[in-house]
Amino acid sequence: MARYVIRRLLLALPALFGLILLTFVLSRVIPGDPAATLAGDAATPAMIAEIRAQYGLDRPVIEQAFIHVRQVLTGDFGKSVFSGRPVAEEILQRLPATLELTFVALLIAVFLGVPLGLFAALNHNGIIDHLVRVVSVGGLALASFWLAIMLQLLFAMELDLLPLRGRIDVALGMPPRVTGFVLLDSLIAGRFDLLMNGISHLILPAITLSLPGLATIARFTRSGVLEVLQKDFVLYAQAVGYGRFRLAAIYVLRNAVTLVVTQIGLLFGALISGAVAVEAIFDWPGLGTYSVQAIISADYKALLAVTLVVGFVYAVVNVLVDVAQAIIDPRVAEDVA
Amino acid sequence: MMVLRVLLRDPVAALGLFIVLFAIFVAIFANWLAPYPNDAFESHLLQRLKPPSVAFPFGTDNLGRDIFSRVILGTRNALLVAVAVITAAMLIGVPIGLFAGWREGWLSEVLMRTTDVFLAVPQLILALALGQLLAPGIGAAMVALALTYWPFFARTVFAETRRLRGSLFVDALAGIGASPLRILFLHVLPNAAPAVLVRATIGMGFTILTAAILGFLGVGATPPSPDWGLAVSEARQHLPEAWWFPTFPGLAILVLVLGFNLLGDGLRDAADPKIRRSKR
Amino acid sequence: MRLRSRFIRLLAGAAAVLAAGFVAPSADAQQRPLVWGDTLPATLDPHAIFDVPSQFVLLNAYDGLYRYQGNPPRLVPWLAESHTTSADGLTWDFTLRAGIKFQDGSDMNAEDVVYSFRRLLGMNRAPAAAFSPVLKPENVTATGPRTIRFVLSRPYAPFLAAIPLVAIVNPRVIAPNIANNDWGAAWLAANTAGSGAYRIDPATYQTRVSMDLARFPGHFMGWSHLERPIDIVRARPVLETSTRVLALLRGEIDATDSYLPTDQVERVERNARTRVARDESMRVFILRMNNMKAPFDNRDARLCFAHAFNYQGFNDVILKGLVVRNGGPNPNNLWGNPPDLQGYSFNLDQAKQHCDRARAAGAPIGREIEIHVQSELEQTVQAAQMFQADLRKIGINLRIVTNTWAGITAATTQAQTTPDMWVHWVSTYFVDPENWIGQMYDSQFHGTWKASAWYKNDQVDDLLRRARSSLDQAERERLYQQATRIVVADSPDIWVYNTLNLRGLTRRVQGYTFSPVGSGGELRLVSLTN
Repeated sequence: MARYVIRRLLLALPALFGLILLTFVLSRVIPGDPAATLAGDAATPAMIAEIRAQYGLDRPVIEQAFIHVRQVLTGDFGKSVFSGRPVAEEILQRLPATLELTFVALLIAVFLGVPLGLFAALNHNGIIDHLVRVVSVGGLALASFWLAIMLQLLFAMELDLLPLRGRIDVALGMPPRVTGFVLLDSLIAGRFDLLMNGISHLILPAITLSLPGLATIARFTRSGVLEVLQKDFVLYAQAVGYGRFRLAAIYVLRNAVTLVVTQIGLLFGALISGAVAVEAIFDWPGLGTYSVQAIISADYKALLAVTLVVGFVYAVVNVLVDVAQAIIDPRVAEDVA
Repeated sequence: MMVLRVLLRDPVAALGLFIVLFAIFVAIFANWLAPYPNDAFESHLLQRLKPPSVAFPFGTDNLGRDIFSRVILGTRNALLVAVAVITAAMLIGVPIGLFAGWREGWLSEVLMRTTDVFLAVPQLILALALGQLLAPGIGAAMVALALTYWPFFARTVFAETRRLRGSLFVDALAGIGASPLRILFLHVLPNAAPAVLVRATIGMGFTILTAAILGFLGVGATPPSPDWGLAVSEARQHLPEAWWFPTFPGLAILVLVLGFNLLGDGLRDAADPKIRRSKR
Repeated sequence: MRLRSRFIRLLAGAAAVLAAGFVAPSADAQQRPLVWGDTLPATLDPHAIFDVPSQFVLLNAYDGLYRYQGNPPRLVPWLAESHTTSADGLTWDFTLRAGIKFQDGSDMNAEDVVYSFRRLLGMNRAPAAAFSPVLKPENVTATGPRTIRFVLSRPYAPFLAAIPLVAIVNPRVIAPNIANNDWGAAWLAANTAGSGAYRIDPATYQTRVSMDLARFPGHFMGWSHLERPIDIVRARPVLETSTRVLALLRGEIDATDSYLPTDQVERVERNARTRVARDESMRVFILRMNNMKAPFDNRDARLCFAHAFNYQGFNDVILKGLVVRNGGPNPNNLWGNPPDLQGYSFNLDQAKQHCDRARAAGAPIGREIEIHVQSELEQTVQAAQMFQADLRKIGINLRIVTNTWAGITAATTQAQTTPDMWVHWVSTYFVDPENWIGQMYDSQFHGTWKASAWYKNDQVDDLLRRARSSLDQAERERLYQQATRIVVADSPDIWVYNTLNLRGLTRRVQGYTFSPVGSGGELRLVSLTN
C-alpha cells in the first residue's frame, strides 16, 4: 500500500515539471507585449524599452526559462504585469472564492447525482431511467454561460427570488477574513445573517456549475450500479430474499462508490474550467475571472501562475483520489506491477 | 450493423441519431433552408432587435439580421469545427495510445507522462491561452481544442491496446511473425474502434460546447460569423429586453450537443456486451 | 403543551432569521454607503498609470496643483492658490495654499510637491509623457516653504493644462516602503499616500474587485459646501455590462461606468429608482487607418473609406441619437476647430468613385483589409460589423479581428505591425487640442497609440509645433484651425462622433457633477438622499 502511494506520488512529479515547462513555453509566445501594458496609455517607445529591460523581458529565452523554473519552485510567481502586485498574493486572495464555489458545486453534484443514478439503475429501462438518462446527458450539453444567463434572468431579475451577483450583499460587506470562505468566516464571526446571505448568493452559481458534474456522476453511478447488479453475488442475495432496494443500498452502492470516486477526480478539473464562464457572469471574484482578465491584459505572469496552481491542485486531487480508491478497493493497489 | 439495430431499439439513442442526422442535413442545405442566407454578413439597421414574428421566427439581432437564418447557417460552422478538431485529435492521440500501450518501457512512460501533462492543465484555460497565442480567431481555437482533446483519445486507445495485448489472437499473430506495426494498425486498432468511436462522438459534443464558450469569451469565432457562442456573447448587452437573442442560439447548442451525447451513449451501450445482456 | 409552543416559537424565530438573510436589506439611505460600480484601475499608484479608470483615484484620493471643474471644463487653482509665468514661458512659479494636510495629518509643503514631480519623472511611466520632453527633475525646485519653481527647456503651451495630471504624494508615508530603488511603487500600488477628500482603505483593496473609501474630514477644501457628505464609499466594479445594468436597477450599485450602452438608456430612465446622467463630453470615436500601409497611403483610398461609413446609421440608429457627429479629430465643444468644419458624409457612389480612382493609381483596394476591434467594447465591434457590410457593397473585403487594448497598443509601436485599421476612443486626458490633434498627427509622436495613423505632413508638423510652444491663445487657435483643415482634407482617419457621456445612477445620488476629465467621479461633490 505504501509502495503504491509513493509510486503514485512519484508519477505525478514529471507531469508537474512538464506543466511548468509547458506554461513557460506558452508565456513566451502569448502576444500582446506586457511591457506595453505596463507602460500604459501615454507611453513612448523609449519607456516601453526601459520597462522591458527592467522586467528582464529582453534576456535570452533559455535564461528566462531557468529563472522561471527557479522562481516557481520557490513559490515566487513574480509581479502581475497589470497591477504590479505579487501574483501569488492576488491568487491567494481569489483562490478561496473559486474553491468555495467549486466545493459547493461538487457537493450538489454528488448528493443529487448519486441518488439519481441509483434510482435510474434500479428502474432500468423504465420511465425514470430514460428521464434520468436524457436529463443527465442534457446537463452535459448545456452551455454553462447560457444557462447562467437564463437562470440569472429568471430568478434574479424576473422573479427577484435570488441575488444577482457577487458573494455577498454589498451593503452587508464580507465577514472578517479568516479563511476567505464566506460560509466559514461568517460562522466563525457568529454572524448568522451573513451566513444565510452568503448561501443565497451561492445558490445560482453553484447549481449552474454543478450541472455537468451532476450529469456525469448520475451517468456513471447508473452504469456502475448496473454493472454490479449483474454480478453473481447480487443474484444470490436476491434469491435468498433480500429486497432490491436494501441490496442496492448495502451491497451495490459500496462497489459503485469506486467509480464515483474516480469521477470526482476528473470532475474537479472540469469544475475549475467551468468556473471561468460562471464566475464571469455572476461576478464571482475568483480565479476564473482572474484568468480571463489576465488574458485580456496580456498578463502572462498571472496566467501562468493560475495554470500552475490549478494544475497542481488538480494533480494533488488526483493522487488523493487514487489513494482513496486503493483504500476502498485494495485490488487497485495490486495492479501496480 | 447489429449495432445499428440495437441502437434503434433504444429510443434515447435513436433520438440522438436523429438529431445528428438532422443537423448534418441542415448544415449541408443551409443556404437553401435559411430564409435570409445573406444575413451571414449583411446588416439591416432599421429592423434591429425585433421580437419573434412570422417574418423573423427567432427575431432579429442587434444589426437587424434574422436570427433563424443565422442559427441555421451556424450549424455548418459548428459541425465543421467539431469534425476538424476531432479528426486532428484522433490523428495525434490514437497513434500515441497505440505505441504507448504496445510495449512497456521508457517510450511508453514518456508518452503517457506527456499525456498526463496535457491532462493536468484545465482544458479551458489551456484553450484560452493557446487561443491567444496564435492570432485570435476560429483557426486558433480549433488548434487549441485539438491540442487539449487528443489526450482523451490517447488514454482510451492506451487502455484498449493494453487490454487487447494479452489476448490470444494477438499472440497468434505475433507467433506467425507479423510485425508490431502491422498488428497494431491492422488488428488492434479495428478492435479498439468501438471505444474510439464512442469517444469521438462524445468529443464532437464537447468540442461544440467548448468552441461556443471560446466564442462567448471572445477568443473563438469572430464577427460576422454566425457562430452560436458568439451570438450569445453579442446578446448579453441587450438583455433582458431582447430575450430571444441568446435563447435560440443557446438552444441550438443544447440540442446538437445533446444529440451527440445521446448517440455516443447509445453506441457505448450497444457495443458493451455487459450492458447488452442486461437489456433482456 | 408548553414545551411544544416554545418549540414552535423557536422554529418561527429561526425561520425569521433565515428569511432575514435572504431578503435584501431595507434601503436606509443614511447608513447605506454609496456603491460605485465603475471599473477600478490596475494600480493605485497615481504616477504609474494614466487611463480612464485611474482618474477615480486621482480625483478622490489625491489632489493636484490645479484641477478641472465643471463642463465645459475650467482649470481652477487647487492645491496651489496661484501661479505666475515668465515672459518667455520657461519659468513657472506656483504658490501653495497654507494649511493643507495630508491624510496622515502631516502638513504639505513645497518640498512635497518637488518630490512628487521628481518621482513622476523618475518613474517615467505613463503620466510623465506629458512633461518629460520639456522638464528635467532637477529643474523642479522649492523656492520657499510654499513656493515651487519649474524651469522648462522650451516653451510648452499645454504645461498648465497638464498640471492636473500630477498627484501630490506624501513622501513621509512612502519613504519607509521603498524597496530596490523603486520609488515605493510596489507598495503604493495597493496603498495610499494622498491628501484627497477620500481616503482609500488598503485592507479592503482587491485588484479589480473591491475598494472602500472613507471621507477625510480634514480635507483642505473643507466640507461646508455639503450638508451631508458621504462618509463611506464602496467601489465594487461589475464585470459584465448586462449584470451591471441589472445591479443598478435593483439598487445594488448606485452608479455604473460611463459607457452605459445606448440600448439600455431607456430602461434605466423608466425605472423609478434610477436615471441616466447625460453629459456632453470630450471623447472622440475614431476608426484609424494605417497611412503607411497600402492602400491607405493613397488619399483617394482613404476618402473612399471615409464616404463608406454610415455615420447617421451608426449615431442615430445604433446609438439612438445619443451621440453627436464629430467630423474632425478635436471634439466640437473644444476651441481650435474651424467654424465651418464639415465632416464627410455617407455616400456609397462617391466612395466608389474614389476607390476606382485609387485602383487606377495602383492602390491594392482589392486585398483583404483587417480591422482590429476591442472585444470588450461592444461599440467597436458594432461599428466594424456595420462598416464591413457596407464596404462589401462596393466590393471591399473587410476582415474583423478581435484584439485587446494591450495587444493593439503593443503593435502600434511600429508601422509594419500596426493594423490596417482599428477602432478606439480618444478621451480627455487634459483639455487642450494638443491632447487630440497635437498628439495624433504630429509625426514626432509616431510609435504611440494616439499617432497610430502614421500620418506625416511637414506643413502640419510645423503648425502643430508652433501651436505647442506659442503662449498666445489667439495665435494657437489660428494655428490649430489651419492644421485641422489640412488634416481633415487629407482624411487620415475616420472621425465618427463625440461622446455623450452616459452614466446610470440611482436617484438618491445628488450633486453628481460631470467634467470630461474624470467623467464625474469626483465624490466630494456628491451626497445621498432618501
